[in-house]
Parts: sequence; C-alpha cells; structure tokens
Amino acid sequence: MSVVLHMFFNKVVKLKTKWRHGYCSLLWKTVTTERNFTAVNELQTRSRSLLTFCGTQASMAARALTKGLWGLRHSRLVTVGHPCGGHQYATAASIRSPQLQIDDATEKVINQPLEKPDFFRVSELFSVKDLFDARVHLGHKKGCRHRLMEPYLYGCRLDQDIIDLDQTVEHLQQALNFTAHVAYRGGVILFVSRQRQFGHLVESTAKNCGEYAHTRYWQGGLLTNAPIQYGPGVRLPDLIIFLSTLNNVFQPHVGIRDAAKMNIPTVGVVDSNCNPSLVTYPVPGNDDTPVAVEMYCRLFKMTINRAKDKRRQMELLHGLSAPSTPSS
Amino acid sequence: MAGSRLERFGTVFTRVRDLMRSGVIKPSEKPIWYDVYEAFPPKRDPLHVKPHTRPSTKKQETVPEIFYREDEARAKFYEQYGTGPRPFDLSKSSFVSTCQRFVDKYTELQSHSELDGSALFEETGKALLSEGIVLRRKGAPPVSAESRDPVLELKLTEMLAEQQSVSADSEETTHSTHTP
Repeated sequence: MSVVLHMFFNKVVKLKTKWRHGYCSLLWKTVTTERNFTAVNELQTRSRSLLTFCGTQASMAARALTKGLWGLRHSRLVTVGHPCGGHQYATAASIRSPQLQIDDATEKVINQPLEKPDFFRVSELFSVKDLFDARVHLGHKKGCRHRLMEPYLYGCRLDQDIIDLDQTVEHLQQALNFTAHVAYRGGVILFVSRQRQFGHLVESTAKNCGEYAHTRYWQGGLLTNAPIQYGPGVRLPDLIIFLSTLNNVFQPHVGIRDAAKMNIPTVGVVDSNCNPSLVTYPVPGNDDTPVAVEMYCRLFKMTINRAKDKRRQMELLHGLSAPSTPSS
Repeated sequence: MAGSRLERFGTVFTRVRDLMRSGVIKPSEKPIWYDVYEAFPPKRDPLHVKPHTRPSTKKQETVPEIFYREDEARAKFYEQYGTGPRPFDLSKSSFVSTCQRFVDKYTELQSHSELDGSALFEETGKALLSEGIVLRRKGAPPVSAESRDPVLELKLTEMLAEQQSVSADSEETTHSTHTP
C-alpha cells in the first residue's frame, strides 16, 4: 500500500515540474489536502478493481487519483453485474443480493436530489437586497451594450445600463442549483476568469472548495486538444464557471466556444457588454466591481461545499461508506 | 470518447441526447450533468445566435430610459446649487444626500401648497435653511472667516494694463521730445 502512496506523490511532483513554464493552474490541487488523505486511506483498504464499480467510495478514491494524477478516466457504471472485489456474498434466488441493494442505494443517493426543485436550498444564500448592495445591477454604458443582453436589462439611467435584478435572482438560483447538483455527483468544476484583478481571488475560491481554476492565458487546445497536450485519458471538467466571459481585449473568452464544442455546460456571469448566447446558464450581472465578484465567489464556494457535505451525509445515511472513514 | 464539436448547431444538451439516441455515446458514458440538465433546464436554450453583419437601418429602443418625476427638481437643484455643501458618503446604504433631502421637501411642499415652479423652489430652499442646511448658489464666492489679503484681490490683467498705459505715456513724452 505504501507503494501506491509513493507512486501517487511521485506522479504529482513530476506533473508539477513538467508544466512549470507553460503555467497551467489546473494542477493547483496539491496532495496535501485533507480530502486526498482520507481517499488515499480508502485506497489502502480497497482494491483497485473497485474503481470500476460504481460505488460512491470508489468515486471518491477515483477523484483523488484524477485530481492528483489528472490521468485516470473515471467510469460511471451503474449497471449491475460487475464483479465486486471486496465483498464475498452468496446469492440466493429468493433474496436480492446485497450488490443489487448497494446499487439501489447508490442510485437513490444520486437521483433523489433531482426530485426536489431546490434540494440544496441555494435560494436562501442570497436575496435581491444583497445583490443590490453588491452593485450587481450596474452595467456598462449604452454604447457598450450587446444586443443580446437587452432582454436582461431593466432600463438605462443617464446612459448607464441597469440590469434587472429580478431576472438575475432567477438565473443565479438556477446556476447555483446546477452547480450544486454537479458537485454532488462528483463532477469536476473549473473556474475561469481572465480579469487580472480577481485572479488570486478566483484561484483561492477554487482551492477552498476543492475544485479547479484557470485564470491565466488560455492556450488554444486546452479543451479541444487535451489528450495531446496533457497526455491520453485526461478527464475534462464537467462544468466550467466563468466569473467574466470576456478576455482582456473585450472579446468573448475562447473557453465558452470550446466548452460548447466539447459538450461541457457552462455557467457564466454576463455583463451588459457580453454575449450570453452560448452560455448554458447565464447570470446577468456586474462582473467588474470587486464587491460583486467577491459575492459570486462566495456563493459558488458555499454551494459547492454544501453539495459535497450533503453527499457525504447521504452516503452515511444510506450506509454506503466504509466504517473506517471518519464521519464528517 | 465520441463527441460532436458543432457549437453552432443545437445546444450542448440536444447534441449529447442525439448522440446517445443514435448509440454513439453508450449509456455507461453518460455525462454527469445530463440528468441534472434534464431535470433543471435553463430558461433559454443556449443556442448560438448569428451576429447581424449588415448595419441595421432602424434601431428599436427596447431598453427604456429610467426617469422619475423628481428628476425635474433634481436637475434644477444641480443647476443652481451644484452638488450641495455635504459630500456624498456612498459607503452607507441609507445615506440621504442634500439633493435627496431637497427633493423630498420639494415633493412634500408640492403636495401640500399650491405654489409652482420657481416660487416652490425658493420655498424649499427656505425650508431647508430653517432645518440648518445652507445652500449656496453655484458660482458665488464662498464666505470665509478670515479676511482675505488685499494683495490677492489685485487682478494681474489690470496691473498689466496699467503698466502698459504708463509705458505708452512715457513713450509719447520721449517721442514728443525727439520730434522737433
């Protein structure tokens, strides 16, 4: 088991030094965080074959590996009939096998949140007054307006566009709900922002919720040419969150088009000079004021942490996690 | 894993759904977000919208201008008094500026009394004066406590004009002496 650990550390160090020059902040996540250690403990107790089984602990272990190695393809097999390395049970015809029961429980854990409209209660995290105080409603001047943003604008006060906060509340609630569900299912989330003044904030937000960030120059083939740039079997993000959809020359960020190409849904804060058409869950709002961006970062961090905690809770409730893991 | 890179046709969801229907993407390879999108679709399908390349002849004003009735009073206030004696403190969300107080008093007097226009304006000014806010007209010199140094009040242009006239006089006298 120590061999596995050793391999794990070595691989991470190697990756970090290889891309030091062409800086890629995708490998921000270091080995020393808490989560990795608990997952690595699980690795020590369970065999590798369990990675093909869809159990949730396997997903946690697999996550640790993907985050550390950025190389393992994670398979989500919900089908029954895969051999389970750890458990040895005799199956009788009349009694349903515990494997089936485990599958049902996992399926329930995964699909139960979809039944409620606001399972993670994200609408409680913010209000219209909070958005107003954070100056989210302030857009750019009339001349900078994008014609596709006109439906989201409340009006124009002395040539400055005012964004309709009622619509923003609905859109933000949908976006946070989607993010929470993706995080609940163990999806990889990538924060992107090309605004230099918020680079550090976005990176620290991603670090605090255990996800990834990319606030540097976006290389052309980052998503579209990933197997060649990062090695075969790279796992791409399942959701990309744009804190600002423009790059430094006021053009749409390449990541939006690339994510649409790679069939990755996006959540993006669209200001009055942005193009919201390709963003899956746009959030009309101010992306330039520090107060507003801090608020968005805080909200995303809270939803992701909430979703992950809920997942651990549900697993414990349905008795899916191993008894060796400490209860969270 | 198979995918469709046509971002201009359909949405992310429709492409993945169709790929799954046709069997290119196996149910085991279903993306994590697929079920979530199905359960909670966005308000608007994220379809690509073609940009208008030709310059449009008519530009409809779909975004209304925001104006209030009090803006008339505000405009007159700023024209006459500038921003007012007190600076704006925007860090407090419940801050009431001098202009806002003026406008509130103006609307109040308008509803109570029957004055109109400039008379109402003067009335509001007087009412605010009684409350302790002194409004100074824009352009009027501010009254200072200490007396100003009389040197500062000398205008340079006047001094120059004086000097020039003095030098012109002296030139005339020299000319007159020169000419026989």
